[in-house]
Amino acid sequence: MRIPSLDRLPPSFRRLTTDSDLPLRQAAYQSPLRDERLAAYLGASLAILFSVCFVTGLYSHLQQNPQSWLPIPARPAGLYRFSQGLHVAAGIASVPVLIAKLWLIWPRFVALPPVKRASHLVERIGLFPLVGGGIFMAFSGVANIAQWYPWRFSFTASHFWMAWVTMGAIVAHVGAKWAISRRALTRPSRRPPLADADPVLGTVAEPVGAERTGLSRRGLLGTVAAASGLLNLTTIGQTFRPLRRLALLAPRDPARGPQGYPVNRGAANAGVLDLARSPDFRLAVGGRVATPLSLDHAQLLALPAHDTRLPIACVEGWSYSAGWQGVRVRDLLAMAGADPDRTIMIESLEPNGVYRTSTLNPGQAADRDTMLATHLDGEILDIDHGFPCRLIAPNRPGVLQTKWVTKVTVL
Amino acid sequence: MTDPDEVPVPVPVPEARPQPSDHRAGPAFWVSAVLGWVVIGVGLRGIFDHSLDTRPANLAKFVVGGALLHDLIVAPLVILAAVALARAVPGRFRGIVQAALAVTGLLAVFSYPLVRAYGLAANNPTSLPHNYALNLTVVLGAVWAVAAAALILRLRKPA
Repeated sequence: MRIPSLDRLPPSFRRLTTDSDLPLRQAAYQSPLRDERLAAYLGASLAILFSVCFVTGLYSHLQQNPQSWLPIPARPAGLYRFSQGLHVAAGIASVPVLIAKLWLIWPRFVALPPVKRASHLVERIGLFPLVGGGIFMAFSGVANIAQWYPWRFSFTASHFWMAWVTMGAIVAHVGAKWAISRRALTRPSRRPPLADADPVLGTVAEPVGAERTGLSRRGLLGTVAAASGLLNLTTIGQTFRPLRRLALLAPRDPARGPQGYPVNRGAANAGVLDLARSPDFRLAVGGRVATPLSLDHAQLLALPAHDTRLPIACVEGWSYSAGWQGVRVRDLLAMAGADPDRTIMIESLEPNGVYRTSTLNPGQAADRDTMLATHLDGEILDIDHGFPCRLIAPNRPGVLQTKWVTKVTVL
Repeated sequence: MTDPDEVPVPVPVPEARPQPSDHRAGPAFWVSAVLGWVVIGVGLRGIFDHSLDTRPANLAKFVVGGALLHDLIVAPLVILAAVALARAVPGRFRGIVQAALAVTGLLAVFSYPLVRAYGLAANNPTSLPHNYALNLTVVLGAVWAVAAAALILRLRKPA
């Protein structure tokens, strides 16, 4: 059905607009790549990648905003390293898929009339959070791993809440596209030209004799896969050590830095250069304890030492595994006569900053490998790694492995 | 088809002219729309409840701006570039050039903040430790070497 006013548009302009009820390939958009089956493949891939990001993102959020009703387990030790590496890798992989999908369905953006029926209106309103959210999640994530903040909002809060908006839009969109995607994905892929099937529609949607040149549909999928793969191949080495040499575009090198390991925030930027080296440094163990402790650096080194190998996994996707030596938190708590079922607060010398404190739930505090490390790979901890002592615990984001620890409080 | 003598059966019409019923939204549409908008509502509520952190006005600028930048500028430019490419490059080589250009564009966009070193932290030699302009050139060199090899193979193959 034609709306009269549309017929008055100049034909050259009308050729740039599309009919939302016809297949993607119509009017001026004659690329054989504008195909429902391809759109369904890309859409399904995107839904899977974004869902992986959402689930791993929720886990990271829960780590950084602990909930008493859902305590984070101390084990497996490498879980956060894996989940956050996956979060960043899936996010990076989604960039080419997102761009390709948006290109493919662009003719729908210039549909006239813009809305045909009530369900179409609901579907199109949902495209604002879908497209806006999808682009925002990819852009803000990529900018964050490069530590580029061209905005004034908090990255963590905005990336988290926009993830809900985007996921909600994906749920609505999957429902709207379920039937057409299912049909597109299950139909035989080798099919006659549309013009043979329906001469009328065929000439509108797919002119007879259109030369099939350029990238094939399989070629486009291959290109998207190659781009996603190449982006990951050149970055994943920041967490997957065997591919370190290929990590040409990774924002960190997991083997470069003080004592051979990178840091997110050094002592100078944290403002602790003098405080950490001061002879007045004390590690205090207080709160609900029988005997409060106050230990200087020498006394700390004299305590029974524990050795372990644990990863540090940054929220930005890089990680490394190292050997740590120090005193177990549970031993310190036992010395101070603390009740083992308590939550523990760890405080840094850092005068300010969001990450100057972190907490250990009872299970984390009691773990055999949770400790205040004084040594890294057998050497005294570098000041950038948290000298005189830092928290090291299994299954924990790097920002919560508090450095320059001066106070352990039993809550 | 396993039996060579079998009479070819006409392939069922896969993409018939859309019927009005194709566009009637079923219960799945409405259920997922309601469910999806509830989740969107959770997100929007979170944004406004934490407005000190999320700065809704600034956030909206990036969310709306990102979509408009793509839909009104990036996508039309890509389409124009593709039209120009289709005129400039003969059909049998076009696919390879299209693929290499697409990969190049995606790598360049991803690496842009690294090459510009926006996130370089003072007093932290471990932040952005590589020469990203050089590394991007190396990666793109590899991409175009593969593309060149594919073009040569295509050239040798009779059209």
